[in-house]
Amino acid sequence: MDILNKLYEMTAFAQTGGDWTFLIMILIAFVLLYLGIVKKYEPLLLIPIGFGVLLANFPGGGMGVVQAASDGTVVLPDGSKEIIWDMPLHKIAHELGLMNFIYYMCIKTGFIPPIIFMGVGALTDFGPMLRNLRLSIFGAGAQFGIFAVLLSALALGFTPQEAASLGIIGGADGPTAIFTTIKLAPHLLGPIAIAAYSYMALVPVIVPLVVKLLCTKKELMINMKQQDKLYPNKTEIKNMRVLKILFPICVTTIVALLVPTAVSLVGMLMFGNLLKELGAMTSRLFETASNAIMNTATIFLGLSVGATMTSDAFLNFTTIGIVVGGFLAFALSIGAGICMAKIFNLFVKKKVNPLVGATGLSAVPMASRVANDIATQYDPKNHVLNYCMASNISGVIGSAVAAGVLISFLG
Amino acid sequence: MENLGLGLTLMLIGMITVFAILLIVIYLSKGLINIVNKVAPEEAPKKKVETPATAKIDSNIMAIIEAAVKELTAGKGTVTSVEKL
Repeated sequence: MDILNKLYEMTAFAQTGGDWTFLIMILIAFVLLYLGIVKKYEPLLLIPIGFGVLLANFPGGGMGVVQAASDGTVVLPDGSKEIIWDMPLHKIAHELGLMNFIYYMCIKTGFIPPIIFMGVGALTDFGPMLRNLRLSIFGAGAQFGIFAVLLSALALGFTPQEAASLGIIGGADGPTAIFTTIKLAPHLLGPIAIAAYSYMALVPVIVPLVVKLLCTKKELMINMKQQDKLYPNKTEIKNMRVLKILFPICVTTIVALLVPTAVSLVGMLMFGNLLKELGAMTSRLFETASNAIMNTATIFLGLSVGATMTSDAFLNFTTIGIVVGGFLAFALSIGAGICMAKIFNLFVKKKVNPLVGATGLSAVPMASRVANDIATQYDPKNHVLNYCMASNISGVIGSAVAAGVLISFLG
Repeated sequence: MENLGLGLTLMLIGMITVFAILLIVIYLSKGLINIVNKVAPEEAPKKKVETPATAKIDSNIMAIIEAAVKELTAGKGTVTSVEKL
């Protein structure tokens, strides 16, 4: 009997303490895994996040991230309190376990977001943007959601720093959202990272929803290639290779001079891109940045962000407010991009498909792929992918700059 | 209300900055395109000219290739041209 008792005490059931809310979180983990595996919504993100949620919510497992209060206080398993910033890493690993070690070493220090930006840069081709420079401006319009939600969150009683971290979800850029939140409201990192990454993964659902609400069939059938033939581009690029090498160097210099707080993101993005564009000269570095480092960073980020989603941290009104506010920020950004394209069309002969505006939020290249699918539903010959990529890529720069502004004003 | 004022200011400054930076990036890129078009107008033209030039194969390598072909085809095959792919 004693052995059976001990066996029971070993299981998670004995350690629930009568609190069964972890079951809700496990259900949420299953939903995220279902969306990633069966629906294939950003599986590279949703599967590590979903599994992280699963790991974090087994009572007694010790894999959940222990959130620090705004003054840095954490409660250790033995009930004592410590300031997390005064704890050496080995003590965090010993007292709080593996997942907290990864989280406080890689995420909370702000190390992973710029590293992921480097990988994103290495995987990004600025060619479509350089070929369609005028479309790049839509990357700015789609940042409106960030500031609109910031304003709404302030009205609801969030502090300016919290409101800014909430609004940045509208930039549709996970690393940017994490980076901004670490700087402004680190105690909200868990729910904000989850909301940002979940909505990024749900781009195939959210973009069509907003597009259907705001666009007519006629607008969605605007054929960008036909427009190009009717009104050809005046500037011809004679040497794309040299241009692509100069571009990241020049953009980094300009952004670093004007918004230095954005340089850790934009700079790393452009560094990754430069490695790609230099070709054989830096191919070894490019391969490491775009594969090994990027994949390692994604695994650590996904698992530890998922592990922040424990029932204590997630099932409360602030988190629900963040999830709702994040959705609004996301939808407003897409809507603002669409409206900007519509206004643009009022004044120009060469019309722009509003989908190009919708992809002004980051989420590269998923948003562009989704936009292309929507366009081909209305006209199978209307491929807008390359045009959407122009605004999509500039959206990455746009959201990093918006983050830089928020950090310099509120940090 | 103070916070709302701050929010509005941030919205104004933020949107203006984002637009301004992207406009600068656009015009910077246009400038870069013009400079590159003038300074380095052609994309690696020398390589394209060099590719059809098949004659400059080292005589030692040619001899090795000919010997290998003879060996493999039992003396029936001959090498007419060697091209770099």
